[in-house]
Order: sequence, then C-alpha cells, then structure tokens
Amino acid sequence: MGSRQITEKSLSMLRSLPRISLSNLRDNPGSKKTSKRGRAQHGGDKHGAGNKGSGQRQNYMRLGYETGNNPFYLRVPQEHYYRGHHLRRQYPPLSLLQLQHIIDKDRVDINKPIDIASIVKTGTYNFYPDQKHFGINLTDEGIDIFKAKINIEVQWASEQVIAAIERNGGVITTAYYDPHSLYLLKNPKKFFESGQAIPRRMIPPPDAIEYYTNPENRGYLADPDKVSEERLKLAQKYGYQLPNIESDPEYSMFCERKDPRQIFFGLEPGWVVNLKDKFILKPKDEELLQYYSA
Amino acid sequence: MASVLITAIKRLTITAAPTRVYSSVTNSVATVSNSSLDVTKKEWMFPPAYTKPREVWIENMDSVEEKKLGLFELHPTVFASVPRIDLIHRNVTWQRKYRWISWAHTKTRAEVRGGGKKPWPQKGLGRARHGSIRSPLFRGGGVIHGPRSGTTHFYMLPFHQRIYGLTSTLSAKLAQDDLHLIKNLELPSDEPEFLKDLIENRNWGPSVLFVDDTDIAPRNITVATDALPHVNIMPVYGLNVYSMLKHDTLVLTLAAAERIEERILLLLHAITKDKEAPFKLDQV
Repeated sequence: MGSRQITEKSLSMLRSLPRISLSNLRDNPGSKKTSKRGRAQHGGDKHGAGNKGSGQRQNYMRLGYETGNNPFYLRVPQEHYYRGHHLRRQYPPLSLLQLQHIIDKDRVDINKPIDIASIVKTGTYNFYPDQKHFGINLTDEGIDIFKAKINIEVQWASEQVIAAIERNGGVITTAYYDPHSLYLLKNPKKFFESGQAIPRRMIPPPDAIEYYTNPENRGYLADPDKVSEERLKLAQKYGYQLPNIESDPEYSMFCERKDPRQIFFGLEPGWVVNLKDKFILKPKDEELLQYYSA
Repeated sequence: MASVLITAIKRLTITAAPTRVYSSVTNSVATVSNSSLDVTKKEWMFPPAYTKPREVWIENMDSVEEKKLGLFELHPTVFASVPRIDLIHRNVTWQRKYRWISWAHTKTRAEVRGGGKKPWPQKGLGRARHGSIRSPLFRGGGVIHGPRSGTTHFYMLPFHQRIYGLTSTLSAKLAQDDLHLIKNLELPSDEPEFLKDLIENRNWGPSVLFVDDTDIAPRNITVATDALPHVNIMPVYGLNVYSMLKHDTLVLTLAAAERIEERILLLLHAITKDKEAPFKLDQV
C-alpha cells in the first residue's frame, strides 16, 4: 500500500496531529455520491429524460428492435456451419505460460501428478461444467519459456504442447471427464461433505472416443506401447533428445495414471470419504464391488 | 503547518531504527540481553521486505510508576502501514450500520384510518377533484415514501477493507503514542483506584482498552475494571476498529500483539477469493 516514504511521512504527520477518534473521522471528500433527484437548476425540469414520448416515459425497446426497420440481427443470412455450436464441447484454455507461472509461484505441487482438480485449487483457472465446459485445453502460449518437468493430465492438448512437455522430461495425458465428474473435481470438498459414494467416470461419447484413443494425442485410452512409440516419433519430428524417464528417480510418479473409471487420484469409485472424522468407507458387498469395477 | 512537517520529518530521520542482524536461524523468538535490557527480536513467517521493524517499549503493570522492561519488535506491515483515514472511517460506518435496524415508521394513505369515501362529487362544485381525504395532499393524510419500520442497514464491507482498516488503526494508534505493550494483565491489587492512578500517572487518557489473546482475564484486573466503565478488556478475536477508536489508548499484551500480527499477516498473504465470494455485493 503506497510507497515507503509516503507511509513514513504520513505516520510522522499523525504524531503532531490530534488523536484520531470517532468524533473527528471523515471519508475522502467527494467519495460519496448522493442519488437524489435535483430540484430547479440542479437538474430539475425534465431530469435529463427529454420532452414527450418514448424517452420521457423511459420506455426502453427490446434489444435489437430498430423501430420498424429490418433489424440487424435478421438482416444477415444464417450461417449453417455454426448450427449446434451451443451443444459442442468447449475446453477453456490454460496456457503453458500460466502453468509455468503457477509452478514458479509454488501454487501447485509438481512432485505429484497434476490434474484438473489441483489446477482449479490454485485459484487461477475456472470452468463451468454446466456451460458445456469439459476441462482444460493446454495452449502453446509461452511454449519457449516452459521449463517444468511434470506429469500432467489435461482434457485437450495440441502437438506442440505435447512436445514442449515431453522435451523437458515430463509426461502428458489427455483424459475425458463427463460433466458430473467435473463437478466433483471442481469442488471435491462440497461433494465429500454430501456423504455420497464416489461415482464411476463415464466413458467418452462416440465423437470423442477417437481423440482419446489416439496415441498421438496421448489419449488415456490409447495403448501405452503405441504412446511410447509416438513419444519417440514426436521427438524426431521436432528434433530434440527424448529424456529417458525410466532412469529418473521419480519414475514411479511419472508412471502414475488414473484408471479410466477413476475420478480422483488415490480414491476409487464406490468409496465414501468422511471429512469430519477423517476416514474412508469402502464397499464390501459383492454386488457393489462388481458394479463399481465394471 | 510547514514547519511542523519539517520538524516531524527531521525527528523521523534521527529516530530511524538502526540496522539489525538476525542472529538466530530458529523460528522462535530470540531474546538478546545486554545490561539488564531485554530486546526481543522476532522471526516472522512473512518478514518485512523494505521496512524495518518498529521497536516498542514493554511496560510494567505492577506499580503506578512506569518502568521499561525491554524492547519489543512489531511488524511494520501491521503496525506501520499507511494510515488510511478513509478506510478507518468506512470501517466505523460499517460497524455502526450493520447492526442498525431503523424502526422509524409512517403510514401510507392506505393505512391511515378512514378516507374510503369520495369527499365530494367530481364535478359541479367548483372545487378541486379528490378521491380520498387521506391522500398525501390532505392534512392528516398518508405519507409518500416515508420510512418503514424494520429497515435493515446490514452490508458486508469488502474483506481487504476490513483488514486494512485494522492495520490503519493500529498504525495510527502507534504513531500517535496511543498504543502500549505490557507483559500480561497481572495487577498487584484489585483496587480500581490503583488502576485509575496508573492510567493517570502514565497519561494514558481516561479511556483504555486492554487486549489479551485469551478471553479469561486475571481476577485483579477484572475486579478493578468492573468499577471503571471507561476501562475495558477484550480478547484478540474481538478486536475491532470502532472499539480501538472509542478508547483513547490501546494496551496490548505481548501475546496479543503477536497473535494480531500472525493473523493479519496470514490473511494479507492468503488467497481468500473463495471465502469472500458469498459476500460479494454485486452478485445477482
């Protein structure tokens, strides 16, 4: 708040001024605006609304209405390639620059796998599952300065972004979450407090299966052997030496992935988390076990 | 006015705190003792970046005469921040308003007794047209837009304005020599006269607010302050801008000062977005 000199000066001024008390306080001059209707020369007469008609009666017309003209929004022909755009899946972007920034500020722990829950918890990224948001699109802004070595799971990533992460010795996976799972990941505490069992993650819809089974996209449903093959191919394409993660001391962390049916790291579907008494209830019934493992 | 400022700034340059070296690497409080004077140096969770800690005398409470027991360091972010008078004022206004329910009440034309009948025919009498003798134009008629009882004036001041209100008030109190530090609230006697003499002798002004970190005060001070309505005790969690300004002098125990520093520094450096969200005023 302010510079140091201003602070010191104002504090030293206070020393020679009368004691601040309830009786000699006031706000900054002009900070309070009274919303009164002025009389006479202070905005009286028509009070800025004009004389007669629509303006005086403050009859605001509906949005887009041009008093009888063919309105602008109808004048332009429809563009059918936008049909259904409000139903398409959206992936609000998170740039590599932002990701590097939150890592530098130590707002996320890179010694553990990073998923959408840990990124939302930093407070720098927000999304709304009810508005067709299906998770993070990791974009290439700041690709040249990205230096972190991480195991990250996002929902959408381009080829350059995958290359940038793998060049630093990191691992990236793209994974699909249905909107209900995203609600849980966005605010896990609220869900755990409701006392419900963790549900299964749904499989991707038909039009998304192709993306998430493709090893080029590092899809979570792709064959791991093919993924490692693609890692090598990408390294050759972009011309970098692929770091050997098998010899990395944190190899086990880099191998951690969620099960396709799992929502939270370390928690399985069917479990009930009790935050108050700090324990986890696990199902024992055969039928339940079969249901959650299916 | 200019001369007053110049002298104040001169005094400031002379009394600027000497450079200090943090001797210990431990997180605990280290006490450096030289020639019977205790200087308490602290390692804060968020150390002051460009300013020096403020040094304040620790005073005794076991005799009427003042004795200096040592020096104590206060964090400049909390106790020497910019004294924003406007924020202090906003805090005071908020504290007055949030618990105020206005019971002023007037009756509308519908609520005033009578007035159901048309007083005289619409036409033919040469008089003005009227439909009710309780119309606002009539004497004894209803009131337009009058006050209605049970009007609440509750609102939440934004979180950081509340925090900066506290730091501004504490800084202003310290700058005006109205903030004193004591070891604890132990008094040698439960006589109100003793406390009265002590306050008189030290020129603490008639009204004094003692703040401790617990809400259980020693017996002597509770008995002594019972008879003195202008001397009050408060735990740290009750500390507020209004009470600090209502009393001339604020007296903190060492534990209370540390607790205030710890809480305010933590809240100033924490991400409080999700906690503030329910209190946002412009939400639909």
